[in-house]
Amino acid sequence: MSDTNSEKIVHGMMAEFTTVDTLLSACRRIRDAGYTKTDAYTPFPVHGIDKALGIKPTILPWICFFAGLTGTCIALTMEIWMNGVDYKYIISGKPFISLPAFIPVAFELTILLASFGAFFGMWALNGLPRFSNPMFTDPRFDRATDDRFFLYIDAKDERYDAAGVRSLLTDTGSDYVSEVLEDNTPKEIPRPIFVIWGVAVAASVIPLLCVLLMRVTNSSQPRFHIFMDMDFSPAKDAQQVTSLFADNRAMRPDVPGTVARGQLIGSLDVMTGIDVDSLQAMNAPQAQRLVAAFMQDDQAAIADEVTDVAKAEDDKETPSVMDTTPWVTENPMTVDSELMARGQQQFGIYCSVCHGMDGKGNGLVNQRAQEKGFDTWVPPSNMHQDTLYSDKYPDGKLFSTISNGIRKMPGYAGQIKVEDRWAIVAYVRALQKSQNATMDLIPEGRKEEVKSAVDAAQKELQRQADEAAKAAAAREQK
Amino acid sequence: MSLAIPNGLDNTVERPGERAPLVLGNTNYHDITESVCQVAERKPSAGWVGGFLVAFALLQMLGLLIVYLIYTGVGVWGNRAPIFWGWPIVNFVFWVGIGHAGTLISAILYLFRQEWRTSINRAAEAMTIFAVACAGTFPGIHVGRAWLAFWLAPYPSLNLWMWPQFRSPLLWDVFAVSTYGTVSLLFWYMGMVPDLATFRDRSKNKYRRMIYGLLCLGWSGSSRHWMRYEKAYAILAALAAPLVLSVHTIVSFDFAVSQVPGWHTTIFPPYFVAGAIFSGFAMVLTLMIPARSMLNLEKLITIRHLENMCKIILATGSLVGLAYGTEFFIAWYGQVPAEQFAFINRAFGPYWWAYWTMVSCNVISPQLFWFKKCRTTPWIIVVVCIFVNIGMWFERFVITITSLSRDYLPSAWAYFSPTWVDWGMLIGSFGLFFTLFLLFCRTLPVINMAEVKSSLAKQHHMAHAAAEHGEAEH
Amino acid sequence: MSEHAAPKFKPADDPTFSLPSSLASLQLPLLGGGLVALIVGVGMAFAAESESMPRFGFSTYLTAYMYVLTLALGSLFFVLIQHLVRAGWSVVVRRIAECFMILILPLAILFLPILFSLFFEGRLFVWTDPNFASAHGLDAKMWATKTSFLNAPFFIARSVLYFLIWGGLAVYYWRGSTTQDETGERAATDRMQYWAGPAVMLFALTTSFAAFDWGMSLAPMWFSTMFGVYIFAGAILSAHCLITVVSYVLQRHGAMKDEITVEHYHDLGKYIFGFIVFWTYIGFSQYLLIWYGNMPEETEWFFARQRGVFGGLSIALILLHWLVPFLGTMSRHIRRRPGLMAMWACYILVMHAIDIYWIVMPEARHLVHENIPNLGGALGLIASILSIVGMTALFVGLGLRVASGNRVIAVRDPRLRESIVFENL
Repeated sequence: MSDTNSEKIVHGMMAEFTTVDTLLSACRRIRDAGYTKTDAYTPFPVHGIDKALGIKPTILPWICFFAGLTGTCIALTMEIWMNGVDYKYIISGKPFISLPAFIPVAFELTILLASFGAFFGMWALNGLPRFSNPMFTDPRFDRATDDRFFLYIDAKDERYDAAGVRSLLTDTGSDYVSEVLEDNTPKEIPRPIFVIWGVAVAASVIPLLCVLLMRVTNSSQPRFHIFMDMDFSPAKDAQQVTSLFADNRAMRPDVPGTVARGQLIGSLDVMTGIDVDSLQAMNAPQAQRLVAAFMQDDQAAIADEVTDVAKAEDDKETPSVMDTTPWVTENPMTVDSELMARGQQQFGIYCSVCHGMDGKGNGLVNQRAQEKGFDTWVPPSNMHQDTLYSDKYPDGKLFSTISNGIRKMPGYAGQIKVEDRWAIVAYVRALQKSQNATMDLIPEGRKEEVKSAVDAAQKELQRQADEAAKAAAAREQK
Repeated sequence: MSLAIPNGLDNTVERPGERAPLVLGNTNYHDITESVCQVAERKPSAGWVGGFLVAFALLQMLGLLIVYLIYTGVGVWGNRAPIFWGWPIVNFVFWVGIGHAGTLISAILYLFRQEWRTSINRAAEAMTIFAVACAGTFPGIHVGRAWLAFWLAPYPSLNLWMWPQFRSPLLWDVFAVSTYGTVSLLFWYMGMVPDLATFRDRSKNKYRRMIYGLLCLGWSGSSRHWMRYEKAYAILAALAAPLVLSVHTIVSFDFAVSQVPGWHTTIFPPYFVAGAIFSGFAMVLTLMIPARSMLNLEKLITIRHLENMCKIILATGSLVGLAYGTEFFIAWYGQVPAEQFAFINRAFGPYWWAYWTMVSCNVISPQLFWFKKCRTTPWIIVVVCIFVNIGMWFERFVITITSLSRDYLPSAWAYFSPTWVDWGMLIGSFGLFFTLFLLFCRTLPVINMAEVKSSLAKQHHMAHAAAEHGEAEH
Repeated sequence: MSEHAAPKFKPADDPTFSLPSSLASLQLPLLGGGLVALIVGVGMAFAAESESMPRFGFSTYLTAYMYVLTLALGSLFFVLIQHLVRAGWSVVVRRIAECFMILILPLAILFLPILFSLFFEGRLFVWTDPNFASAHGLDAKMWATKTSFLNAPFFIARSVLYFLIWGGLAVYYWRGSTTQDETGERAATDRMQYWAGPAVMLFALTTSFAAFDWGMSLAPMWFSTMFGVYIFAGAILSAHCLITVVSYVLQRHGAMKDEITVEHYHDLGKYIFGFIVFWTYIGFSQYLLIWYGNMPEETEWFFARQRGVFGGLSIALILLHWLVPFLGTMSRHIRRRPGLMAMWACYILVMHAIDIYWIVMPEARHLVHENIPNLGGALGLIASILSIVGMTALFVGLGLRVASGNRVIAVRDPRLRESIVFENL
């Protein structure tokens, strides 16, 4: 054995013991003999061996303490910055920086980092992992993790001399003393392991490469839907059909009795155009039905009720030309230029398509209907007739007509807000006045101005009429 | 009152002034190595294979159900307004609770110098990690879009432009459970390294030797290493002990910081912790009693170990009972109508059956452990522990579902019914747990050999010392 | 295994096992001085009563009383738990805890002034005031239910029950331990262990309810299920501190020189450190849940403690009852120095007094909305300090009296040897 040994590097000398007590006494002996580069290898921690070998305490607790402190600081900084500075929002009325609520996470991170400190710090201080260790060359050393205790003296120790150490160790009662030799087993990784490792590394790169490829590729194709991620909303669009409700409508009407915000303005008089108090005096049940219909906010019922009120008057034994419904006669809104402008705008949007911008009943729809010659078409009224002036057709009735419709005209209550309907009423009155206006109505100072404006307007109308005639003629020629 | 039984093998009797042995038989260090290593080295028994196949099949079922859930959406569960925390959260709290015993046995019993923990701590820690894995599954899939669960982490996102909400207990939970999982894993692994070295040194097969060699990081058993190792172990134990408490405390915060009647009560933190220890020990016993006889470990995991755990179950079970009582008393004493209603509803409402199952399993059944006969008869222990496990599942059911189903808004009240997916996932999670545990038994050291040897050494030392003192006395 | 010389075990009648005469002679000064200080202090406290703090007098007495009571209860629990877990390390210091545990008996007499306060409606517990509900606009039906628990006869009955149970436990364990001093009977230890389980259960139940009765019901509309645990945490922490301080003082005067070693201080230090964390954990959990829930019926208690001088005291408790001793007792090197450890223990005992003061005194305020409690002026402050100091002196004097007739160590406990040779690993 000694022949082969001489060619190898000798690291030191080890001795095997079978009990803790013999090991400890051997340790004390070599310590007292002055050896310092020594170590013991045991299957479990042997208490008292650090004193017997003169091992110094470790700095591990300090590593842990500072790692833990770092954890606390990281957690608190993170929480305060994220929730208190960078991304503030109020939740359950708590301040942005809520220290009590930040403590749990701070605690957890303290523990986590301190544990990392203890775990990784311990391996680092121990110089592990270290897979090649000359101690492992001796097969007997396998029992160091089972039931044998080994004492080791390093060859670098100042007092090391092979023969002396061997005799000292044999003297301590060891049955087996041997030199620790350099590990001469092959160092390269066995081929199968290497291949498996290489394949695993290569395979693990594939997903990453795929992601990178996706990132740099332009494509007109829709994205993959691995997870649906609510990309396809099951919600219905407007006007679609559903089997969920008896009426098959996906859009749901308002719940009866609900009033939209800002929609409850003024009294029933304002809402209906009828002087309800007077109606109560005249026809109490009718008035109550009207109110009830309003409480339900059932547009159809309201329309019925209001037309009933009107009809009841018509059905009287002496059908009077005069409408006896107690209509509101005064526009309840404050009539000013603002209301007038609003009325003009709303009239332009909703009324003019049939009634025309001038109210003469010749809007675009009417023109088209006349052109096409629909049999069922009832021409819209011309607003400039005696029966529709405010003395015969009170404001309230006009309001009611706008709201609930008349003949072919649908009710606009659902589309035009109450104030806007009253604004239209005011505008219509102004429109009516405009057709019968004389220069006397105009203040002295502005007569010239108006006159020239009227002239210009008439000229413009003339020009438009001529152009229209020309265009018509051209169409006919074609 | 003579409790002494004239039987040399009965280590449940301890004369004051002497310590009963923790390891039975005329055992030496090598016997310990042999009896632990044979578990992983011999051919798997038919029982193991059968158990593994069943567990693995259940795990597959869990996997398929998760795929079904992700593909279809969380509507496949029974969670409906107002009970949005249904079975998944019940299962989560249940498994996290189970996951407390391991680290508790390792850390707190270590700090209290309870030597008997050495025979059971490894398996209990493994159980902890597997239970935390089961627990983590449920909130993971309960978030609805499980593939985006990483949004919970505070990372600078280019898509979200926002940060997690640190004032929310649910985020505390993310940190607590993941910290707990990580630290438990470190603790378990670190404790296993010397034993993995034993496995390495015993393996005949080259590849087996290489794998265990890598896993044990080249552990050599050097005294310097041991010294730092023990220090690190003590520090980790000291860190893990408050961590164990904090995890279930934070889980209890999930409930208790809210204003839901029956959830908002200040005793929740210690009460949840006691419950977690209770259920964890019950699960350890349920696993260890069959395991010790199947794996021939009766000399290392003795009746005394079982008895000690039974005592802890009795103590924590009674604490839990005390907490139930305190809650009821304070609900009455506090005179808050919603709170009173919540508690009366628990006991006599539509879920009365769950409540009384919970009380009888958790408070009444462990009272059997007042009797030594029950603490030392393995089959009685198993039966009681299974009851305790059932009871603790029902405790979470009662807390989560009863309170949610009767919120402040009577118009929203509802009754929870689980779907087949709920059932399947609960059963499947046991599949995950047992698959991992059975694999652990076959591949890793099930008992901490180094620590058992160390306590055996102490036992010898004390026997020597006692003999010396005895001589000195005469 | 160790290199130490084998310890020498002294015979049971060794003089260092009895109370040193230098300490025994302090009995009378402590008892007399304590009583005088207590009476003067409480008298001053009554004089310090004002419009804003109308229940100052009795509250001051209750503060002082609760302080020493928690010390005695903590000691009782210490003894019970050591028996329950068959602890070996603690045997050398267990007798010290036993000496304080038995003081439950004289403390039952000192409880009489608190019962006496029930005859003065609303002078300590506001629920004794029949006009309380109407004066504060409380629902009569609710108040009727509440007073079916909080009423003088039932309160007295419960108090008697608590003292019977505590006294019974204390006497049982005291007798068992002191009798063993003479007989050396091992079966005595067996018996005490056997009953430790039920005893701990009884202790937990009674302490919890006593805390509700004597602490929580000061604010009758407030409730917290955790309150009993909070009081318990303070009690067990301060009991460990008391044992440490007394061990150190006894050793300084020559008793148990070789029995209590640095290892025991190290272990006590670990427990002190642990219970500091436990106290913080319980206190923080209770605060967090109430703060987060933010329900008016619960926040009122903390509201009174977040304003004015008590607000400062709350912050001080966090820093001085947790942070400072937490950092101070963290290191192994400090725990292994008996002198330093005794100093920290003293410090925590003072903090515990402030904790009890912080629990009790704000409830002496005039109970109208937003009324901030105060210290009762210079007179009130002196009165509070004097009462606590007096009560503590009385308590320690009684402890010395008990110790002087007995040994200060359980000389024939079968685990005494194990305890003496005990080493932290």
